Amino acid sequence: MAATDIAPAPSLPRRGPVAGKLVAHLFTLCCLAAWEAASLVAPSYLLPGPVPVAERLARFLTSERDLGHLGASLFHVAAAITISFVIGSLLALIPYYLPMLRLAIERRIGPFLNSFSAIGWTLLSIMWFGVTSLTVIFAISAVLVPFALVNMAAGLADIDGESLEMAQSFTRNRARIFVRVIVPSLYPFIFATLRIMFGVSWKVTLTAELFGGNAGLGYMINMARQDFDTATIFAAIILIIGFVHCMDRYLLAPLQAKVSHHYAS
Amino acid sequence: MQAERLSHASTIGSHVIGDAIVVAALVGWWAVARHLPEFILPGPLPVAQRLIELFITPDFLWNVFTSAWRVLLSIAAALLIGGGLAFLAHGVPSLAAVVDERIKPVLNSFPSIGWAILAAIWFNPGSFGVIFVETAILIPFCLINIAEGLRNIDREIMEMGRSFTHHRLRIFWRLTLPLLVPYGLSATRIAYGVAWKIALVAELLGATSGLGYLMLQAQTAADSTTFLACCFAIVLIFVAGERLVIVPLERRFARR
Repeated sequence: MAATDIAPAPSLPRRGPVAGKLVAHLFTLCCLAAWEAASLVAPSYLLPGPVPVAERLARFLTSERDLGHLGASLFHVAAAITISFVIGSLLALIPYYLPMLRLAIERRIGPFLNSFSAIGWTLLSIMWFGVTSLTVIFAISAVLVPFALVNMAAGLADIDGESLEMAQSFTRNRARIFVRVIVPSLYPFIFATLRIMFGVSWKVTLTAELFGGNAGLGYMINMARQDFDTATIFAAIILIIGFVHCMDRYLLAPLQAKVSHHYAS
Repeated sequence: MQAERLSHASTIGSHVIGDAIVVAALVGWWAVARHLPEFILPGPLPVAQRLIELFITPDFLWNVFTSAWRVLLSIAAALLIGGGLAFLAHGVPSLAAVVDERIKPVLNSFPSIGWAILAAIWFNPGSFGVIFVETAILIPFCLINIAEGLRNIDREIMEMGRSFTHHRLRIFWRLTLPLLVPYGLSATRIAYGVAWKIALVAELLGATSGLGYLMLQAQTAADSTTFLACCFAIVLIFVAGERLVIVPLERRFARR
């Protein structure tokens, strides 16, 4: 499962030869041309052309209502990541301090959370909480908790025993050791975890919003689907791809690389 | 000796605590469900009963089978396409940027419900649309893992291979593929998990059979008992597949 995968610290993007870049741009142009050609043949509710989609995207970025939906999605993602990160980290810390509970958490709670399907959580939370933001946040959080648990547990297992021993020789205050030694050695894992959670959350958020939300991009896509407004669906998808990719590449990856570099022994 | 006995005791202790927590969770569920209407939270007993009923109903088993073969076919297709793209980027350096900077980011950030909706618009409801969506969701996971494997291939072994034969197909068959097996397996494991947990969304929109469809039916009919039983059935099928197929495969190839 993806949860068992720890995001490797990214290496900086390779500076490919100019020819490679050229081929990549050419590929983009070919894709756009093929899209345009296909849209001329297919009816617009099946495949709108790149120009109407670009126009819709431009309207999206200037419409307060549409940006409101983007804001709602961002809020859902941020809230769910915060909640699940806290719960997952706590679940990971329990067996670290109380080894008796290791089996209960790693072999019972973890695998159960890990194998419960995202759709199950989404539809279940609709039954419990109705069509609200709470439903969306609950569903995303439930999906993300195992990712946080597995990654943070891996981080705790990776802590250097010698530096802990050294810390214990300096102080007996466990809170002090936690803040000064354990948390800093977890930084690389915290960033890797947040990065994975960010990626996964966007895969789940729209589903949750589509079925159980009354705001957000998923809700907007659902409305557009009912109106056969395929251009809006395309615009929303392109916006998400652009946003997720840029956040990951220009914010989270450099941040993670920096932290890993700084704290790597 | 004493330390051994102590660790043995603590193993038993943690087993007891682990099972006690499961029992406590079930009792807690039962206690909460007693005060709630059945359409919000049915008790553990009716759900367990329905789960057993489901597994002896031919109709349900047919839906499980439908979902399972869709998942397996999608994993195979995603491994082939993702692996093909990884090989393309590895073997033709001028195409590396196309795969790494165009195809991969787009597929990786494409929301899964986006594929599901597009498939619902483009195709008639049925297995083809579902497999299309599941494959599209799984490709980036396979691509990333196999590309990582290709990057980590030991150059010296490949050089040695080349000094024995110039036959590229032979090198590929005898060296590259075996060296990629662990990465292929890890891609399969990840894809398997994502398929059951996330890609099942394909069956909510563009299918008239399968577990996702059954769950949506149960949810729309406010039949929470069947719905929860379906959720647990997925947990059981997922765990069974992992324990019976994926773990033995990994163990077998890890020993080599």
